[in-house]
Amino acid sequence: MEAPPDNDVLWARSLHFRHQDGSPGITGISLGVREGEILAVSGPRGSGKTTLLKCLAGLVPAQGGEVWFNSKAVHRMGPFTRERLRRDRFGWIDPAPTLVPELNVWENTALPLMLRGTGRRRAKVAALEWLERLDVGDKARKHPAELQQAERQRVAIARALAPAPTVLFADEPTAPLHRADRAHVLRTLTTAARSHGITVVLATHDAETAALADRKVALLDGRRVNTVHLPPVPEAEGRAECSLSV
Amino acid sequence: MLALRLTRAAHPAVHLRRLLVATAAAGTGFLLLSALGYALAHPAHSTAALLRLSWCAIPLAATVYLAVAVARTDPGAKPRTGLSGFGLGPARLMAIAALNTALACTLGSLLALLVYLHLRGDLTGMPFDGAAKDFLAANRSLPVPAALTLLAIPPLLASTTVAVTLRPRDLPHHGTRSRMYGRFGAYDRTAKRETFGAYGRFGARIFRTPKASTQPPHQPADGTPPPHHPTNGTEPLQPTGDAQPPHQPADGDQPPHQPTDGTQPPHQPAGSRAAGAARVGADGTVQAPVSETHPPAPADRTEGTPDQVPDLPAAPPLAASPTGLPWGVAVLAAGLAVESYAGVTETTPRTALPGGLAVGPVGVLAGWSLTALGLILAAPGLTHLCGRLLQSARPGARRLLAGRVLMTEATRLGRPLGVVCAVASAAFAAATLDGYDGSTPAFGPLTTLGGLLVTGCTVATLLTAAVEARQSRADTTAALLRLGAPATMLRSAAALRTGALLAFFGPLTLLIAELAALPLAR
Repeated sequence: MEAPPDNDVLWARSLHFRHQDGSPGITGISLGVREGEILAVSGPRGSGKTTLLKCLAGLVPAQGGEVWFNSKAVHRMGPFTRERLRRDRFGWIDPAPTLVPELNVWENTALPLMLRGTGRRRAKVAALEWLERLDVGDKARKHPAELQQAERQRVAIARALAPAPTVLFADEPTAPLHRADRAHVLRTLTTAARSHGITVVLATHDAETAALADRKVALLDGRRVNTVHLPPVPEAEGRAECSLSV
Repeated sequence: MLALRLTRAAHPAVHLRRLLVATAAAGTGFLLLSALGYALAHPAHSTAALLRLSWCAIPLAATVYLAVAVARTDPGAKPRTGLSGFGLGPARLMAIAALNTALACTLGSLLALLVYLHLRGDLTGMPFDGAAKDFLAANRSLPVPAALTLLAIPPLLASTTVAVTLRPRDLPHHGTRSRMYGRFGAYDRTAKRETFGAYGRFGARIFRTPKASTQPPHQPADGTPPPHHPTNGTEPLQPTGDAQPPHQPADGDQPPHQPTDGTQPPHQPAGSRAAGAARVGADGTVQAPVSETHPPAPADRTEGTPDQVPDLPAAPPLAASPTGLPWGVAVLAAGLAVESYAGVTETTPRTALPGGLAVGPVGVLAGWSLTALGLILAAPGLTHLCGRLLQSARPGARRLLAGRVLMTEATRLGRPLGVVCAVASAAFAAATLDGYDGSTPAFGPLTTLGGLLVTGCTVATLLTAAVEARQSRADTTAALLRLGAPATMLRSAAALRTGALLAFFGPLTLLIAELAALPLAR
């Protein structure tokens, strides 16, 4: 079996996934993620970005193909091993901030650290540090329901970054935000990732967001493409005939 | 028709819960019919017949409670976005839920009627050698309207209660706050006043925001900013070697962009809000001004404000503790006191309960009901207390999750738990009294049926409430699993919750039962 290249922290070859209802997810995607880079997985909605990220992160087992993480075969791991790998090495950011509503902000941020077995005091210090870095440090004692959506999303990013994961998967982290909040969130995310050497796999359908990444992988209908050529929007010709005002 | 269609295509667990409701309704209907049979058999004792009928209120209440709990967990009656789009909104879903409940209860009532007629021998001769001949008045003809009226009570009551409970209510809008009329002529309080002694109160000074974060972002963050590279964190932000944006909106005192060696500084002074604002300001593509993301602090923020001025109007009552604990304890104590006084005075009239459940003064009954009411009122607060104790003293992830969830679900779980405790303590006290006094007859079959019915209904309600809590937390659980939380940890947190509740409420129930049985046992 071919060993993955050394400089790739995450490496996938001809990934196939089909959803439970039989609808096609991704078909034959190969890619490598280098250490410390920010890789944007771009493509329109429904092109398989989330499925690809789930396969890479071991949330769902890949049905065909291989996924290697630091020369460990993710595609051959069982659910328990994958869970431990996710807990210890990976971070995940959802499109919408899914915080635990019962815990306050710093406890939410410290939760992954505590799940790894870090002591409460050290987890709290790290969580507060990251919240300060993401400009939500003054909200550390509030509950998620008292925050605005952008602040919640920043808390979710802090939660993902706090345990210093090797790879951070961000699945459209700015989808529910306005443009100003979006820029801020993305900027803090990329800054933090670069300054701490965290590899980021960023799914987005936004060209502006993808421009922040080091490299871009375009998906279309579950396949990797080099350039996306969607049929252009038809011009105004023929609209006059259909118009009601004529 | 839609209700039937939605009912038929449900999960087996949902069907099981509906079947439980039907069984409870059948038991209640049978008890009601038995009261009717007693009245038929003893036309002279109208008071005793009325007493028996009134004792049926407890199983009826338990049945209705179970029906409401089941209807709340029914996935067919949850508002769904897709259905609400074409008019099947919360109002129609409420009607569907009420219809489902009525269906289940009617099924139970019919079952009760069949069993009753069978035991009376109206259908296929007398079963069991006529053992049930006496209290079912087998030799008299059954008045059909009376029987139907009695049998219609559980479905009607249950579906009405379900409809009232699940009626669509608009949540108050987040921005609208009930206006506080403070001082004379003032519309609203402008700032929180610092009252006498509020300055030195514990915790009033601890959680203040650092002064840097309340300052407008164009000022330097601290008194001692790093002299060189004050916004070094912005260094890697240029996406792919973009040109420097023509103007820096963040701060005018930033030194000109110094091309550093590209290596990151070991310590990133990005903690302050000014640095964060500079990050946004350095955006070359979006050009979002700083004031969009971080409006400067409002000008009317005074220095004397004792704590943070809340940006949001009203905090949602997320972790609000249930307020019924003092009332519950007071009512509980009053009930116990009434019992003991009623036990002392021997002149009060004694009321014999049907089936020989207990023979005691009326005051004792009043005390028991007060005790039960107090227990039900106090249980949410006690559950909240349980959760608070569970997550106290430096909790790890497991205790934190277990305790906080218990605190949040205190009302939802505490009410049925209080009911279960009240029923259990009543059953324990009754059993104790029965053991003490040899003269009291053993429980009759109808009393046993009623007791089983009430116990089963309350326990089923508690379990259904637990299912409801789990359903409402399904999203959070999924997110935690995505985070990599081990499923065993979540399971052990749930076990910890259950154990804590058992350890707290079990001895409490026993204690109250002992106290309740004490005056009667003398």
